[in-house]
Amino acid sequence: MDNPVTPNPIGQLEQTVEEAQKAPTPVPTSDQLLERPLEISMTLPTQAYFLSGIRDFTLSLTQNLTGFSEHWAFRFQAVVDELCNNAIEHGSAAGHTIEIKFISIRGKSLEVHVQDSGTAKEKMTARQLTELYQERKQLMTKQYLGFRGRGLPKIVGEWTDEVSFEDAPQGGIIVKVKKYLRKEEDKLSSTQQNDPTHLVLK
Amino acid sequence: MTEVQINIEDVQNTAGKTIKLIHVVGQLDETNVDEKAKQVYTLIDSVPQGLNLIFDFTGLEYMNSKSIGYLTDWYSKTSAQGGKTVIAGARENILDILQVVGLTQLINAYPTIEEAKLAVSQ
Repeated sequence: MDNPVTPNPIGQLEQTVEEAQKAPTPVPTSDQLLERPLEISMTLPTQAYFLSGIRDFTLSLTQNLTGFSEHWAFRFQAVVDELCNNAIEHGSAAGHTIEIKFISIRGKSLEVHVQDSGTAKEKMTARQLTELYQERKQLMTKQYLGFRGRGLPKIVGEWTDEVSFEDAPQGGIIVKVKKYLRKEEDKLSSTQQNDPTHLVLK
Repeated sequence: MTEVQINIEDVQNTAGKTIKLIHVVGQLDETNVDEKAKQVYTLIDSVPQGLNLIFDFTGLEYMNSKSIGYLTDWYSKTSAQGGKTVIAGARENILDILQVVGLTQLINAYPTIEEAKLAVSQ
């Protein structure tokens, strides 16, 4: 017989190879989507005015899409704010931009990259910044009464697992930080498991 | 500019001594802290000896490392003049950030204003 379609045991029609090839790709479920690395990039003008919005975004993103708890969401809010402030204050001139990238693997890690424009008056290389970071970390092991300098070694350094500095090909420095989600430090909240796709921007 | 309000109030301890209660409501960040800090410096300069400060952080939602730097400086100045500085009512995220930079080893934090008042009176 010249009939490619035969009924299957439960009464539905089977697809031919040609039909299957024409069929749309199955839409991944929200759970499948969240298993993939989530990457969000944004560009900000070098004005601190915009940072309260970035703090709100970081808090919502971390709470709703990464698997980290509210406690860590507040910590990441501070980490991102400090990195962006540094990129604006020390790495970029007025009228330029900074780049922020979030890379989340739900339940595993959250990574943040902040790149300045390299247009500040006093330029530093990634190597110089690495040395400065190590010096500051050493300084902070004792009681510190200074006015500035806590952001990178204490807030960023203590609340992330990896901190690295790279020279950007087009100028400027990229600071990369990464935090791994550990059961003993954190756990998935029940609200995230129930509604993993709901991102609330306050 | 991010919203923040600083209001200063005189309160009395049990011995009748005046304590300056500084209410901070909102978010202290790069856009506002330099301007708002002037209020506190003016207060510190106006009382040369024995100034006792309570920072009421009940309404404080966020503080960055620069505002922590100012807080450290206010503590140093009041201590040098024989006064005390304490914190009252800070939220968990604020205590967390003060702790990670080591400031809670210098400045005591109390859950309520009443407990803070008792502490500066001792």
